[in-house]
Amino acid sequence: MYYGMLAEITGHANELWNSDENLTVGKFRSQILEKYPALREKKFKVAVNQKIAEDFAPIDPSAEIALLPPFAGG
Amino acid sequence: MEKIHKPKKVFVQGPISPEFVSKSIASHQSKTAIGAHAIFLGQIRADQKESGVVTAIEYSAYEEMAEHAFHEIREKAFARFELTCMHIYHSLGTVPVGEISLFVFVSSPHRRAAFEASEFVVEEIKANVPVFGKELIGENGAYVWKENS
Repeated sequence: MYYGMLAEITGHANELWNSDENLTVGKFRSQILEKYPALREKKFKVAVNQKIAEDFAPIDPSAEIALLPPFAGG
Repeated sequence: MEKIHKPKKVFVQGPISPEFVSKSIASHQSKTAIGAHAIFLGQIRADQKESGVVTAIEYSAYEEMAEHAFHEIREKAFARFELTCMHIYHSLGTVPVGEISLFVFVSSPHRRAAFEASEFVVEEIKANVPVFGKELIGENGAYVWKENS
């Protein structure tokens, strides 16, 4: 799922991500940057099942992945 | 006994009205263990940007994750400070300049806990809740994405 400015760059809010079984957040980051090079200039965090995840974290095939631009609450 | 704090609905559509704030204050008059309320209100500022002046912010959120994050902040605040109760409301959708988009209301027997908890809660919201904001500029549909510093 893409939020805020990132949804504008990818052109949609949701996408199904097909990947092999050993996906990690780090691998996912490089795959997504390859598909959407414009994201390289943007800051974003990756949330897996609604938790911010570090690059080494594994991603389950059924997981919900979200790309989150900088927060602006308040 | 440990109190259990149920997740509460935080998001409201559009601005938070002064009437809503005053009703929230009035509804605490029966809670006579409270000696101090601290209220933080976030108001939309007419910032000057390169392309013009901000007229409103359009908020969106990763709502499910945000509700969890708000709940965690509440739990941390209750664990850290002597609080009687606490309410957080945040706007979604468009909030024009001069109107309120965040209402944090903490109540305690004593002032120190109320002051400190309100600051803690506001800072946690700014840093850890996935809320996104588009600063709308002028009449022609221009905007910039807001980023908390």
